[in-house]
Amino acid sequence: MNLIREIWQSIVRRDPLSTDKGKSELVFFNVWLHVHPAKVKKENLRFKHTFYLGFITFFLFVILLTTGIALMCYYRPFPPQAYQDMKDLQFVVFMGPFLRAMHRWAAHGMVICVFLHMCRVFYTGSYKKPRQFNWVIGVFLLLLTLSLSFTGYLLPWDQLAYWAITVGTNIGSYAPIVGGQLRELLLGGHSVGEAALLRFYVLHVAVLPTLIILLTIVHFWRVRKDGGLSRPVWKLKPNKTETLVTIGAPLEIAPLKTGPASKDKTYGLMEVVTGKPIFETVTPEEEEDAVFSYPYAFFREAIALMVTVTGIMAISLFFHAPLEELANPAKTPNPAKAPWYFLGLQELVSHSALLGGVVAPALMVIALLAIPYFDRNPSRRPSDRKWALWLFSIFVVANLVLIVVGTFFRGPGWALIPPWVHVVAGAE
Amino acid sequence: MNRRAFLNWGTAGLVALCAGVGVSLGAVLRFLVPSVFYEPPQSLKIGNPADFPFGAPTFLADEKIFVFRDRDKGFAVASAVCTHLGCTVGYLQSDQRFHCPCHGSVFGANGAVQHGPAPRALNWFEVTLTRDGQLRVDKDKVVPSNYRLMV
Amino acid sequence: MRSRLPQIFFALSTLALVLIVLAVWQASTPSWKTYQRNFLQLEAQGEPSAVTKAAVLATPPEIHQVMLTGLQRVDRCTTCHLGVDDPTMKNAPEPFRYHAGLGPHIPSRFGCTICHGGQGLATEKDAAHGKVDFWQTPLLTRDYIRASCGRCHKEGDVPGVPELTEGRHLFETQGCRGCHKLNGVGGSIGPDLTEEGANRRSPEWLEHHFIAPNAVSAGSPMPNFHFTSEQARALTYYMLSLTNEEMGTYYSSVRLIPSPEYGRQLFVEKNCIVCHAIGGIGAKSGPDLLGVTKQHSPEWLDEQLVNPDLVYPGSSMPEYDLETNARKALVAFMTSATPQDAQEILSGKGHTLTPEDAAIEAGKRDFARFGCAGCHGTELQGGLPNPNAQGGEVPSLLHVSDDYTKDEILAVIRNGRAPPLDKASGPTPPLYMPSWKNLLSEEDIHHIVDFLWSKQQKSKESW
Repeated sequence: MNLIREIWQSIVRRDPLSTDKGKSELVFFNVWLHVHPAKVKKENLRFKHTFYLGFITFFLFVILLTTGIALMCYYRPFPPQAYQDMKDLQFVVFMGPFLRAMHRWAAHGMVICVFLHMCRVFYTGSYKKPRQFNWVIGVFLLLLTLSLSFTGYLLPWDQLAYWAITVGTNIGSYAPIVGGQLRELLLGGHSVGEAALLRFYVLHVAVLPTLIILLTIVHFWRVRKDGGLSRPVWKLKPNKTETLVTIGAPLEIAPLKTGPASKDKTYGLMEVVTGKPIFETVTPEEEEDAVFSYPYAFFREAIALMVTVTGIMAISLFFHAPLEELANPAKTPNPAKAPWYFLGLQELVSHSALLGGVVAPALMVIALLAIPYFDRNPSRRPSDRKWALWLFSIFVVANLVLIVVGTFFRGPGWALIPPWVHVVAGAE
Repeated sequence: MNRRAFLNWGTAGLVALCAGVGVSLGAVLRFLVPSVFYEPPQSLKIGNPADFPFGAPTFLADEKIFVFRDRDKGFAVASAVCTHLGCTVGYLQSDQRFHCPCHGSVFGANGAVQHGPAPRALNWFEVTLTRDGQLRVDKDKVVPSNYRLMV
Repeated sequence: MRSRLPQIFFALSTLALVLIVLAVWQASTPSWKTYQRNFLQLEAQGEPSAVTKAAVLATPPEIHQVMLTGLQRVDRCTTCHLGVDDPTMKNAPEPFRYHAGLGPHIPSRFGCTICHGGQGLATEKDAAHGKVDFWQTPLLTRDYIRASCGRCHKEGDVPGVPELTEGRHLFETQGCRGCHKLNGVGGSIGPDLTEEGANRRSPEWLEHHFIAPNAVSAGSPMPNFHFTSEQARALTYYMLSLTNEEMGTYYSSVRLIPSPEYGRQLFVEKNCIVCHAIGGIGAKSGPDLLGVTKQHSPEWLDEQLVNPDLVYPGSSMPEYDLETNARKALVAFMTSATPQDAQEILSGKGHTLTPEDAAIEAGKRDFARFGCAGCHGTELQGGLPNPNAQGGEVPSLLHVSDDYTKDEILAVIRNGRAPPLDKASGPTPPLYMPSWKNLLSEEDIHHIVDFLWSKQQKSKESW
């Protein structure tokens, strides 16, 4: 018994969880958990502040990684075999349809959640100083998520995949000067073919996941270093503007004070670096608000995880991932549509190639990246930033409307047809 | 709610969670076990008895088997996989022995090791006649070297 | 709020457990397992003792598949159709019944889908029978299944399937190639038919289409050829057999044997004698074929038959869409051909050929082969409706010598022509004269004009 206890002690190395010290050490001593502080503010954990969208996105990514690795065991990225492997997953592999559906729906879910998470961060003004650059990282994570979904779209090698990628990459080729070459580089040819499938596969299973993991680490680390989650807007102090001061941020309010490091302490390094301890300056009221991460934060995160997993499982149980005919370069379906998140752009391209292929996407990305630097208003309170909220809402609604129109209201020949009107496709 | 109830619900939840994770792990393990094999099946029809000549064995490269047909004793099927490290052995009609190209193992006409590092004799597989009159070899059923199918 | 967390946690973890158990259950109870259980029970009935009965019933369920690398397909039909190769299942109910009358087409070598259609990879009934969205080739019904024989038996008479022979014959004589490409040879007005059998068009659609093209494909420029229902069925069979699949040698070796007799038949059918002579008997526009197999290797001759222009740049010999074995058969015939053969072939034609006659004969052959007959009629009568063209139909060619000079007609054939409009504001007529100068040699074009003029004279004489 003693040996077992000794082994356990050697693994966890902390006091019992019934003590405050134990609760803190659970966080400090654990490489996976110590991205959290030992204590968090209770109000920050409220569902209506973040909707746990960041966590849900992350958990969806974890689902995608695990199901994706499982699916790789049955997938060969060469044209006829790739499609046959999809059929095998559908018909002979145990739980094949279920895992494929989970991967598919989690991928769509991740695109949606990344976008919603971005909206939440904007509406709560959480991108403001000192978090500007973390917003920029977030925008890159959004782009990577879209790229991952887009590259994965081709892999089943059916008609849906083939033509969505053909249309999608052609939208990109409208970019001036480099567009055409970029498309050829991505496809490894002039049209979607064997080379494109292999390249998309490499991007999908190796390059993009690695990048997204690296950026996610930085994203999380910066949230932690910026003092955890932002304060909910309802907890903002009425008269003061933002007073949060954190390590790493230029100290404009309190000038750097590098007092002589105490001779008898070894942890003074932090003071030398910043002159400040690694947490926000807090008022006594806020101090009361703080609770231990264990169990308050961890339990809630666990529940967010389980809601995500059960949700995806429930959907996958009843709705299988679509699979159409084998890709046929000679036969274009009518209408041929890009993946749904690019349908807004395709809708614009149908009116003006320059607008949808170049201006709109470029402006969107640049505008998103510039938001934290362009928005000089220091206040996070909604009443102080009506203009910003209006502008962003218009951007969101315009995007949604275009996507909805492109997805549901466009029939054969890209004609405007409401989804409730059934169109019989004409004989060839 | 008191601490005790908190722990009870939590513990029950944890038990359900562990069960769920257990089932999932089992399911993933089963997922990884192939339901179909893209290789010659273990039990397969090799054709009509009349297709095989008397005397020198017929080597079926895909299936890695030798089919022996003897005028008096009938059919026998030997594995062409060396019992040492899995190379494919060849049969020399001149000395009536199996020779492994990898490490020089030599097997007698009955499959027994005569020379070299092979630890065991070559396998002989069961061969039967199907209802439509074809020979069926079952590589999952190893038989003694004196097994013969009379047709 | 905080106090509810454990309950929520419990509820969610229980839900997760239920969902994963449901998913496992869903995956472990596919319909094919039920079929296999039923089959084992059927099989156990025939077993004599309780021990063997139990042994049969204890067979673990598994997916059966036939890997057909030579046919580039994997058929899992025998997962449910378990008695296909078991004669004792002759009277068993479907899906377990024995498939009688297969001859050499044993299921372990041919699978099922090459003849029946359907989705070999699937293990669920509707999907496997191809009666689902997104699968192009559903099971063929009893009426059309024999069309599949033509996928391997690409040449000669297929025993028991006269429709295929008739369909091929109609295709080559009615001028279909004038508008349609098949295996790279033919026009481009209509769709390429090389893979017509692999497209998702139902046999009923095809058959109806041959009888009344416009009824099933509105606005189709394809003229109504007034085929009989037998002819429409024959053409449908031929279309269904066109899949352009790669077949392994095992399957191509079951095709017609390339015998000299078959070669001779082809030699007559393709009218080779109008250009070539054998030992001085026959026409002189092509090389004499006596001893040609001694001068050239079989491979060289084969290549010459595939692509004459590649071997002899500027050769006036047309490309023939000949199967591998047809070319082998022709070479086999040339090895043994004698002047006497040529004499016999010519006497079958009823007269000896002067150079003029040979040219006319060659023109007649080209007229049929390149599909001129498709629009202008096998008797040059024209008359196919062509809305808004002058006269409203494709012109008859019986009186061209009255309106045009030979040079003018030569130019029309070379460069093609859009038909003059009836009303300038009306729609473009669907049919037009394509440009032939890249498809036909100058010599061929002259032959065709000679042939046309020979017909003119005849009609004038009879006047």
